[in-house]
Amino acid sequence: MEARLFYQLIISGIAQGAIYALVALSLTVVYRGTTIVNFGHGDFVMAGAFVAYAFVVLYGVPFVVAAVIALALLFALGFAMERGLIEPIKAGPHISFAMMTIAVGYVLRGIARAEWGREVLPMPRVFDLPPIFIGNVVITGDAIAFIGVVALSLGVFFLVLYATRTGQIVQAVYQSERGAALVGVNVRAFHSVIWGVGAAMGAVAGLLLAPVTLLYPDLGANFLIRGFAAMTLGGFGSLSGAVVGGILLGVAEQLLGAYVSTKLIDIAAYLVIIAVLVLRPTGLLGRIAVVRV
Amino acid sequence: MKRDFKTRWLGSRAILDSRVFYFLPLLALFVPLLTNPYTQFVINLMLVYVLIAVGFNIVLGNLGQLAFTSTTCFGIGAYTTAIAMASLTLPFWIALLAGAAMGALAGLFASITALRGIRLYYLAIITLAFGELMRWVYIHADAVTRGTDGLPLPPAAFFGLSIDSEIKRFYLFLAITTLMVKGTSNLLRSRIGRAVVAIKDNEFATASLGIPTAHYIVLAFVWSGLVIGIAGGMFALLIGRVVPESFDLTALIFHFAMVMAGGLGNLAGSVLGAMLLTTMPEFLRSFPGIEEALFGILLVIVILLRPSGLASLLAGHLPMFRQRFYRER
Repeated sequence: MEARLFYQLIISGIAQGAIYALVALSLTVVYRGTTIVNFGHGDFVMAGAFVAYAFVVLYGVPFVVAAVIALALLFALGFAMERGLIEPIKAGPHISFAMMTIAVGYVLRGIARAEWGREVLPMPRVFDLPPIFIGNVVITGDAIAFIGVVALSLGVFFLVLYATRTGQIVQAVYQSERGAALVGVNVRAFHSVIWGVGAAMGAVAGLLLAPVTLLYPDLGANFLIRGFAAMTLGGFGSLSGAVVGGILLGVAEQLLGAYVSTKLIDIAAYLVIIAVLVLRPTGLLGRIAVVRV
Repeated sequence: MKRDFKTRWLGSRAILDSRVFYFLPLLALFVPLLTNPYTQFVINLMLVYVLIAVGFNIVLGNLGQLAFTSTTCFGIGAYTTAIAMASLTLPFWIALLAGAAMGALAGLFASITALRGIRLYYLAIITLAFGELMRWVYIHADAVTRGTDGLPLPPAAFFGLSIDSEIKRFYLFLAITTLMVKGTSNLLRSRIGRAVVAIKDNEFATASLGIPTAHYIVLAFVWSGLVIGIAGGMFALLIGRVVPESFDLTALIFHFAMVMAGGLGNLAGSVLGAMLLTTMPEFLRSFPGIEEALFGILLVIVILLRPSGLASLLAGHLPMFRQRFYRER
């Protein structure tokens, strides 16, 4: 019985953590490419979910089509944001980037609230997968969908990164922007595209959440902080670290909630951030992360 | 040396222009003649926010650290003041000092993380997490804070004078805010302020000049926490009931926006930014969502077109602001 509960918690933790992993990975992709942390990224996640909601519920479009529209729109948003709002202030202090990304997130949240007010929106279920039984442990349909879609996205992402020419370009810019520019990579275009990709990856997380949770305009903040926690835990700036950190965080939340107190689910992420940065700032898989004076 | 009338009173800008700023609090003394209780409340709130912006700007603008400490210090200041008055039945001024001290302590903690080498986005994330953790504590330590219901304050008195109307609060707040802003302004123009700005520009070079950078980093965080802690105590008195959601991420964004809109590292700008952003939502309150979107768009425009803040707009047109602006930038 005890063992069954434990495995059950691990499974639901991995499912939840898969979402965090996706958010953390999309933050990392942008951070590595442009050295900017997108503090409005949680609102990109929210925007992805709301666009899907709008097309499915209001216009009666099938979910898959709505998902493609949401991804395209969010890619365009990320691209346009980098080109129009981030690039012009490149010379400014990094505090300006933080404010700019927060401000854009604020606009997105305001638009969502103006349209839907302060109510929470339920969306019809999309992936009604049958649960799988392994022994006496149940894997719910939602968990399968979460883990499946995230695994697929990660597979595609890492395949592109390590096995294609595009991926080589990305790796080159991650290593040295100047070096990449010298061998003919269009770094300016790269920055905009990587922002678009980051936004679209955030939207995938939103798309997964949309059919299974209640939607409200402020849902992004939770995922932003958990994304940060996952990044910190895995090692800030490490791509695989973001994934590992996300899944560990999801599992830790479930275990803490079940065995210690449900109150702790909310603060697991904060505790992880504080503990990791104070005790081991490089995280699990990170490299040099600290400036010492 | 002969100094004629013109050089003494008009030619020497420094004397004429800086004196203008001494008249502002004097002019403000007459504000209650023009207000009703609600507008007076908004103006009192403005005085609280001026302190937050001025305090937050020390860390963000002058020291150049991306540390989101404002809601933490603000909340700790507010709760300390409220608990000291409600549970320990201390008089308001002692409770306010306690709030200031606890705010400064929160600043000290933040500075320790910064000194341990947690900088830039790491500092942003750890301070963000700490602020949210504190909010969780306010909600769940209901024995002391009464959780989400909020902690009500008993009627306050200041040395025997009861502070029971918005106008009385206004005069008290005006005195405190003027004192703290002037104090901060003096601090920033002293050796300490110059050291802090030097650390922002180049920490290694500053250290190599023999300036103890660690001391000044701690000092900047502590002073910032102190100023914001006082603002927290004033806020508790003004609202009359301290609730956890006053210190959430939205509040943090609002504080950040006041500093950015006014101008990073610009004290006059922070005062201006706080005044503008406190009054703006009052006109838009009836449109949920639109208000937020407009606020965001305004911020985007300011950062894009006026990266040095709205104070630089004034500096272009009013000589006394130009003087301040270029000196304190």
